[in-house]
Amino acid sequence: MGEGRQAPNWVLISLMLAAGAAWLTLDVVSVAPNRIVPGTPHVALGILGGVPAILLVLPMLAVTLLAWHPTRKGLWLSLASVTGVLTLLPLWLAAATAMLVDPDLPQARVGLGSAIWVLLFLLLLALIELRTRLGLSRPMGWLLLIPMLLAWWLSLVLWLEPLALQREYQARSDQFADALLTHLTLVGAAVGASLILASLLALAMRRHPGVRRMGFAALNFLQTIPSLALFGLLLAPLAWLASRFEGLASIGVSGIGWAPAFLALLGYSLLPMVRNIHVALEEVDPAVIESAHGMGMSRRQVFIQVRLPLALPVVLEGVRITTVQAIGLTAVAALIGAGGLGTFIFQGLGQAAMDMVLLGALPIIALALMADALIGFLSERLRPGGLE
Amino acid sequence: MIELFDVTKRFGHETAVDSISLRVEKGELCALVGTSGCGKSTTLRMINRLIEHDGGEVHLDGQPVRSFDEVALRRRIGYVIQSTGLFPHWTVARNIGLVPRLLKWPKARIRQRVEELMQLLGLPVTEFADKYPRQLSGGQAQRVGVARALAADPDILLMDEPFGALDPITRKTLQHEMGEIQARLHKTIVFVTHDMDEALALADRLVVMHQGRIVQQGKPIELLHDPVNPFVESLLGGMDRGLKEAALIQVSERMLPLGPRLLASERIAYGATLSQALSVMLWHGVDRLTVVDEEDIPIGELSLRRLLGANAA
Repeated sequence: MGEGRQAPNWVLISLMLAAGAAWLTLDVVSVAPNRIVPGTPHVALGILGGVPAILLVLPMLAVTLLAWHPTRKGLWLSLASVTGVLTLLPLWLAAATAMLVDPDLPQARVGLGSAIWVLLFLLLLALIELRTRLGLSRPMGWLLLIPMLLAWWLSLVLWLEPLALQREYQARSDQFADALLTHLTLVGAAVGASLILASLLALAMRRHPGVRRMGFAALNFLQTIPSLALFGLLLAPLAWLASRFEGLASIGVSGIGWAPAFLALLGYSLLPMVRNIHVALEEVDPAVIESAHGMGMSRRQVFIQVRLPLALPVVLEGVRITTVQAIGLTAVAALIGAGGLGTFIFQGLGQAAMDMVLLGALPIIALALMADALIGFLSERLRPGGLE
Repeated sequence: MIELFDVTKRFGHETAVDSISLRVEKGELCALVGTSGCGKSTTLRMINRLIEHDGGEVHLDGQPVRSFDEVALRRRIGYVIQSTGLFPHWTVARNIGLVPRLLKWPKARIRQRVEELMQLLGLPVTEFADKYPRQLSGGQAQRVGVARALAADPDILLMDEPFGALDPITRKTLQHEMGEIQARLHKTIVFVTHDMDEALALADRLVVMHQGRIVQQGKPIELLHDPVNPFVESLLGGMDRGLKEAALIQVSERMLPLGPRLLASERIAYGATLSQALSVMLWHGVDRLTVVDEEDIPIGELSLRRLLGANAA
């Protein structure tokens, strides 16, 4: 490599070519007069005379060319281009919707086609690649999404009323807020309770090797039971408990509903949580612990001032994994009447209304990503010795 | 003063330390040497009770260590280990101030003491106080380790292969500085090492251990001259013992005042060792060197005969 010339960035090139091809060939939207009838698919070139669609391809081509001889300046330009496409996409969609949807049909709806999903997926991958190449921090990466999110929000509020997803949302916005709250409460309660329980368990395991063997065996076994089976297994004992003790029944414990969901989530959260806390506490450099004792710190001081702070980032990793896992699992909890965003997924599946499924699935994905980013950021901040 | 009377330590069926007796006088630097697994580190840790002894008694200034609260005992004893054991989540200044903080010294006094020690160990305060251990080189980290051990001004210092993980040049520098610090502070030091040159250079008393027992102890020069058995002899360098001894003697001890003869062309610093002087003679094929002071001014001469210990010039 002479004169600082870099080899072509094949990742970006293939991502961009694939994105361009998908955009030009796959269905972008489908338009249906109402919820029941299947929609008519449209490709991007067939809408708005095809010119705006071509215009949207140009930045992608530019990125491909720039990736041939990557330079730092080129990477920044590429970043601007990709962010630009992501931001223009909802605006293009708004224009297309205005053109395709007959204002006389109040039930008419626009479904997002495969081109949109593929494009979003590939462009976000490209964004991650660019962020890594430019050495931007994680929070910076999230800031890059702001223009795109603003454009989507603006379009949804102002112009994208006929979007099927939006229609589904508007039909049940109260229900949505309820489901979101239930979902978050269940996840929060399960993760919080498992953090407390797992801490106690991990401490007991450090004291007694017997507890450690038994504990891990039991938790491993628990983890292998399929989630739906575990919900089912809890049904009978909880129903029995509720019938025996009126107090329990009065706070809402029964064979279905939040109680079995909470217990199952707690059960699944325990293993990763206990394992991480245990490993975190055990893997603190023994030399550091020895010198702490050697300097004359008491056991309690060693634990609180040295072992715990050094273990914290790894403990938080456990919280992160557990939270992300619980957000996904809570979707299944809808099946036993615990509510949450899973309700929309299963109702949607029942009614063959894919947009309703998306109304449940998309926020779950978003929540998982947000939890992952937030806790990951926190754990990075708590790394010993501050940031690099 | 540290005394060990018939001290024994067993791990399961293995006897790690077998009935050893040892006395380290106040202000003395005692080096424990021997092959790995000979029980030298275990012996060290029984002094600050990181390991409890099974038999015999360990005394500190005439009192059994078991009579002290173990935490209070350790705060009176500085402790330095090979891997430094610095707390990675604390800054250099906070690491050094650990024991004073445990002893609840007032804040201002801790800060003052930390700065004092950083100066003593050659760590500029403005540059290093707020750094974290991972930002330090191996040598800097070990300086912080030594400063931390000295922080509460303990009478006793236990050092477990403190310079073992450093590169040869850094190790030499730190050994030299350690010698100077000890000459100023006169701590009672027990120093574990498997580097014989380090032990010979620093120790007032050398203790050779083998399989949990003390094989021989005494002044370094005594052991060099009269090793009790082939093991001690080989540990001390075998045929290289002559050079090891020469490394303990400074040129200034053997040089003669400048005579009427012409100055020899090759020079040697008066603080250099006889082994270095011999090396210079071998290299240049000469039998006479001009001895110079720090400013490179001739102050005497050293002949091969004098170097070998003969009285005449």
